[in-house]
Amino acid sequence: MILLTLTRTLKSGFQNFFRNGSLTVAAVSILTLALLIISIIIVLSISANLGLKYIQDKIDIRVYFKSDVEESQIMAFRSEIQKYKEVKSAEYVSKNKALDDFKANNAAKPDILKAIEAVETNPLLASVNIKAVDPEQYEVIAKSIENSSYKDNIASINYQQYKLVIDRFNTTIKTIRKTGALLFILFSLIAILITFNVIRMTIYNHGTEIEIMRLVGASNNFIRLPFVFEGVIYGIFAAVIASILLFPIMKIVTPYVVGSAYVKIIQADFVRYFILIFIAQLFLGALLGVISSLLAIRRYLKI
Amino acid sequence: MIEFKNVKKVYQSGSINTVALDDISFLIEQKEFVSFVGHSGAGKSTILKLIYAEEKPTAGEIIFNGEDISKIKSKDLPYHRRRIGTVFQDFKLLTKKTIYENVAFALEVSGHTNREIHESVPQILEIVGLGSKAESYPHEISGGEQQRVAIARALVHRPALIIADEPTGNLDPISAWGIIQLLIKINKLGTTVVLATHNKEVVNNIKKRVITLDQGKIIRDHSKGRYAI
Repeated sequence: MILLTLTRTLKSGFQNFFRNGSLTVAAVSILTLALLIISIIIVLSISANLGLKYIQDKIDIRVYFKSDVEESQIMAFRSEIQKYKEVKSAEYVSKNKALDDFKANNAAKPDILKAIEAVETNPLLASVNIKAVDPEQYEVIAKSIENSSYKDNIASINYQQYKLVIDRFNTTIKTIRKTGALLFILFSLIAILITFNVIRMTIYNHGTEIEIMRLVGASNNFIRLPFVFEGVIYGIFAAVIASILLFPIMKIVTPYVVGSAYVKIIQADFVRYFILIFIAQLFLGALLGVISSLLAIRRYLKI
Repeated sequence: MIEFKNVKKVYQSGSINTVALDDISFLIEQKEFVSFVGHSGAGKSTILKLIYAEEKPTAGEIIFNGEDISKIKSKDLPYHRRRIGTVFQDFKLLTKKTIYENVAFALEVSGHTNREIHESVPQILEIVGLGSKAESYPHEISGGEQQRVAIARALVHRPALIIADEPTGNLDPISAWGIIQLLIKINKLGTTVVLATHNKEVVNNIKKRVITLDQGKIIRDHSKGRYAI
């Protein structure tokens, strides 16, 4: 009996979906739009997070020491700086290591290599590369180094050149998080309301049918399930369409959010997230469809 | 089979109360053919609605096969409906389903197997004289034929009771008489029939029990009645 009810109601759900023409189109497009808006917000915050993470990994503060400073003094500086709670890591790069790195980075440029070999003493400075726990803290760290007792040993701190990038990212991510959360809630509500209304309309269209079903003794489940299945089918269709549309839209939108330099990296990550997003959309779409159907049909099932 | 005991029904709409039935009592035995007659608003349809539990009485008891259906729970309602076949003036067919599917639907909802459906539906369509129209849609056939489909649907799950609310209201006299003859035939085969109508000719030709209603009260109950108001 349960199996029979399921197969019969599933079949009639499919029939409703395909025989309702314009209403099906309306319901699916509204649901698609809702899913699309929600996913764009999610994807934007994912991209922004990815972008930030990427930048964070790349960015550090380099403190260069004057060439006459002893290694032991630099190591003392390093161990003191590591005690700061804002500091994630502090890596010591000796003069020789700096030279090796420099050579490795310029291996393809023989003139530069020649030039550096022509100089007898190593012209590069030893440095400590500091990474912060939070990119907002670079400024604090830089300031406290500038004011420390080591300041006379320090040749330079290259913080300023990253400041712009860091600041830009910090503001972007803050904006996206704040407005994103708000928009997410707002659009989710709108999506539920609109979907609910569209499905209510389709069910209203079936008013006589439901009345007849009740008269011939159909149980509430037998009446309800076709609409629930119909809602699920709406959701699945909408999720598929929304996912297909999401790709080109993201391609256009992401550069404005994170700056064109990082688009490639982010889009590479986005592909990995795509399956996850698609599954989430399927789930969300089906859920929206089911909830709307259940809410809309309730009033038809009273005695 | 059906007994009304001092049934009262008041429809409430805002602050206005309309008394549809006032202290109604009667007994309908198994295999009877009973016609309820009266003007519009006399309470015919309300009595039928109370029998198939679309409405609940304001006061009184309605006994159906020994069970008080005025207190029926909503989860038991579908099972009650499956014991009854209903026929209406406006046919109430599913427009997007074929004749065959419409009749089969009554069996599908009550969980009959596909085999049972394949056996019963053609049989019942044969009985109502629509064997050749199984694949037509409701809008492709005449009103009289649509009402036969409705009767086939009401009969197909072999209920003990058929309720017909103005089944001839939308039909020409010849089709109407065809429908009534069909109901008489069904009754002869052992099904109780309860009919509500204000068609004088129909009632006078049936020559069975007639209960006459006026303003929510029974004013006459004759075993070989005529339409007389």
